[in-house]
Amino acid sequence: MSAAGAPEPIARLIQEFARLPGIGPRSAQRLAYHVLRAPEDEALALARALGDVKRRIVFCGACFNITEDDPCALCADEQRDRALICVVEEPLDVLVMERTGGYRGLYHVLHGALSPIEGVGPDQLRVRELAGRVEGGGVTEVIMATNPSLEGEATSMYLQRLLQPLGVRVTRLARGLPSGADIEYMDDLTLARALEGRQEL
Amino acid sequence: MPRPRVYRAEGVVLRRRNLGEADSILTVFSLGEGKFDAIARGVRKARSRMRGHLEPLTRSRLLLARGRTLDVFTQAETISAHRRLREDLAASAEALCCLELVDRFTGEREPLPELYALLVAALEALDAGGGPLAARHFEQGLLSLLGYEPRIDACALCEGRLPEEETLLSPTAGGLVCRPCRPRAGGGRAVSVTVVKLLRFARRVDAETFAALRAGPAEAEELRAAIAELVRYHLDREPNARRFAEGVGALDRLAARGRFP
Repeated sequence: MSAAGAPEPIARLIQEFARLPGIGPRSAQRLAYHVLRAPEDEALALARALGDVKRRIVFCGACFNITEDDPCALCADEQRDRALICVVEEPLDVLVMERTGGYRGLYHVLHGALSPIEGVGPDQLRVRELAGRVEGGGVTEVIMATNPSLEGEATSMYLQRLLQPLGVRVTRLARGLPSGADIEYMDDLTLARALEGRQEL
Repeated sequence: MPRPRVYRAEGVVLRRRNLGEADSILTVFSLGEGKFDAIARGVRKARSRMRGHLEPLTRSRLLLARGRTLDVFTQAETISAHRRLREDLAASAEALCCLELVDRFTGEREPLPELYALLVAALEALDAGGGPLAARHFEQGLLSLLGYEPRIDACALCEGRLPEEETLLSPTAGGLVCRPCRPRAGGGRAVSVTVVKLLRFARRVDAETFAALRAGPAEAEELRAAIAELVRYHLDREPNARRFAEGVGALDRLAARGRFP
């Protein structure tokens, strides 16, 4: 489906929408015509939001989370425990961890996980920066909150090897059964770890 | 007669790529069907019933439904999760190299039951703590099964007997080359008597026996480099996972010396 036949600005808008993930040529057309029919201030608000997100969002110089101010609000918060660093793969993971309300330390966002077969190595992630923070002193514990997948586990193990010699405690999130799951369908690995990590009722 | 709508397979997951919100495309190397891609729906959700059974490095029993373009996993059950292997960084790195080689050297839907058996044996040996020699056994086996076996019992060029001495291993000539033939070999690397013996031994025994050999770190490294050169020649590139394995090795050596990189 091409945008041929439509006036140039519309065709261009369709093309731009079609670049977004999960948007096919049909949806791109529908979105473009929706924008065309929408009131001008609504459409311009979208344009401003797009501009702001690219111009005003930066990476925090300490934890590499996405933020408007550097350092980010979490790193600047004096109430938080500076001896704790929680390592996550993506900025979204910080939001999820914060939602639990149970963590009062700092974060470090790697922006991915090691994926040896795809050629993603430590140099493509914010690994050096994490080592720098730990070397800088004052950190007593680094909590690995990477995904419990092959890549996430490899990342945790790699960082553990890297950070252990610096005399810091390296821990990782417990692995077990997700709430609402069926034991019948659980894989052996998760079940074995859940059994090891069982707790007194 | 129409093909059945669902079919069974047993395989090892080689790779996983994310698709859309919660789906993944997995590349599986299976016993009966060879390598294929299929979609695992909803596998990135916390409550997915298949998620843990479809991780890379896991050997699973699978049930698939035929789709228009890609088939879809409908059931999965772990045969072996290779837990110890997963929890050992150096062993995982070696295992990932094995998976990448299978992915790069094989074609879609081309059954290679002997290579499958070799991969399963290598993963088991690595899981049992067999160390890097288990991976070397696999690499050499893979080259032989796919028709790239180097000539190591005689000179690859003149078929003459090889004296027990340091010999040239030439990927271009297709194996070891005796001293008089060296000028025609087109390059290669010198390999020690021990490495020649290891290469010969690897052909005769299974992964477990080979992994149980006690080779010094220098010999293990020389064997690795020799096979890596053959792999690079036939693949025309360095496997990605190799670089990671080297990085892990470097980290271990530094840690052993108590230094920070």
